[in-house]
Amino acid sequence: MIEILGLTKYYGSITAVDKVSFRIGKGEVFGLLGPNGAGKTTIIKMLTTLSRPDAGICLIDGLNVLENPFEIKKRIGVVPQENNLDRELTAYENLLIYGMLHKVKRIEKKIRGALEMVDLWERRDSLVLSFSGGMQRRLLLSRALLTEPFILFLDEPSIGLDPQIRRQMWDVIRKTRIDGRTVVITTHYIEEAEALCDRVGILSKGKLIAIDSPENLKAMVGEYVVERVDGNGRLIQHICRDREAAHEVARDQQPPVIIRKSNLEDVFIKLTGERIE
Amino acid sequence: MITAGWYPIFYREMLLFRRKLLRLGYLFSAMIAPIIYLIAFGLGLGRNVRFQGSDYLTFLIPGLVAMSSMSNSYTWIATSFNLNRLYFKTFQIFVQAPISPSSIMIGEVLAGMVKGLFASVLIIIVGFLVPSGFSITPLFVLILLLNCFLFANLGVITGMLAKSHEDTATYSNFFIMPMAFFSGTFFPVDKIPNFIKPIIYILPLTHTNIVIRKAELDTEGLISFSVLIIYSIAFFMYGSRLIKNYNE
Repeated sequence: MIEILGLTKYYGSITAVDKVSFRIGKGEVFGLLGPNGAGKTTIIKMLTTLSRPDAGICLIDGLNVLENPFEIKKRIGVVPQENNLDRELTAYENLLIYGMLHKVKRIEKKIRGALEMVDLWERRDSLVLSFSGGMQRRLLLSRALLTEPFILFLDEPSIGLDPQIRRQMWDVIRKTRIDGRTVVITTHYIEEAEALCDRVGILSKGKLIAIDSPENLKAMVGEYVVERVDGNGRLIQHICRDREAAHEVARDQQPPVIIRKSNLEDVFIKLTGERIE
Repeated sequence: MITAGWYPIFYREMLLFRRKLLRLGYLFSAMIAPIIYLIAFGLGLGRNVRFQGSDYLTFLIPGLVAMSSMSNSYTWIATSFNLNRLYFKTFQIFVQAPISPSSIMIGEVLAGMVKGLFASVLIIIVGFLVPSGFSITPLFVLILLLNCFLFANLGVITGMLAKSHEDTATYSNFFIMPMAFFSGTFFPVDKIPNFIKPIIYILPLTHTNIVIRKAELDTEGLISFSVLIIYSIAFFMYGSRLIKNYNE
């Protein structure tokens, strides 16, 4: 469905994306995980025709994105990281313009369905500038789904959302997956990647440093973590391959010690020595 | 609802325009500069001046219409296009839609033309209210439309090239402001010193002012009309190319 080969992008002297290659299968929910500046958004922009790669190839359904942008645009829906709604138009008008641009048939019915899906139908005639940040994120998601795209790109979809709204957003994304769509999500929320993604690609400084299912990635570095805070207030962590190994390590530590299951952030720290922020 | 690619772009601008029209200030801001010029130069200074065999107001009003159509077609599009590209990011939804760069261009330019024509109509109404020999001919209407088209195209180009919102004002100060004053709006270009004339004849508004005051196309008018057509095509093609090569 999506294939990236040696994808590279420079901004001046900075290498934003450095020879990244991976494949995403049809119907898969794939996450790009990494801190700010890791290159996640740049990859999404190259896949969605907003940005041109300096080297490498992006293929969607076997079509080169650079050579067939028109066909690619018919297949994709995008929720950008930066809100690009028209704030001085109503929710309905935003979807109407978007639907007209994408030549959506039976547009009124589809707009209603899209707005109901994110609980915004009652607010359809309100100007977007009167919406809260969470409502605007939901409207962006409904707009992206209006065209019933084969592939949905979500760039930090739940950034700035409170936990309740975030989970509501996840439910909509899960439903999208049930409908058979391929979903590509960038996030720096560990919980989000673990809750939604079949596979995760971990990015650091523009390079893809690991790619696998969240479970396999955690198993690769160790499934348990022993944590304690030292006398200087620093968090000391030991990643252990299993529960027994964790207990063995904990026995040698000065209490209080916490033993917990590892998460993708532990994977990231183990692989890069950095934290995801 | 299936529409041509340019229509949603145009429709969006019209929705925004309609909202702005409902704000009282917009109507006045579109009219204020030309009305000030009309009062200061036309009814004040120009009371005892005659150009080209007629009173000054008859000379001035077509020039003010040309100037107003230029600045409104240009400024609105240059500003909104630049803001939409750099700050509000709404331009992204056009780029990510399955429509051609020329469709984006047509939609924006038509919207710019509507805004330019709207401001022009206000001046024309005022022009008929003051005592003058001002009249409208088919050629006047054609040139007005062409002038709006040309400068809306230039507005898109500025919106695409300007690296910040402040830059659009710089472009305006360098190109639009001098054109407004030296291209035959307030006085005929033959009154300008010879050494500046070659520059003045490069400016598109000069040719609008030459031909918009003619009752029918003579040789001079035909040359100016051709210049306006060439500028319009060149600006349209360059604007479309800038949109096609858009790269974040």
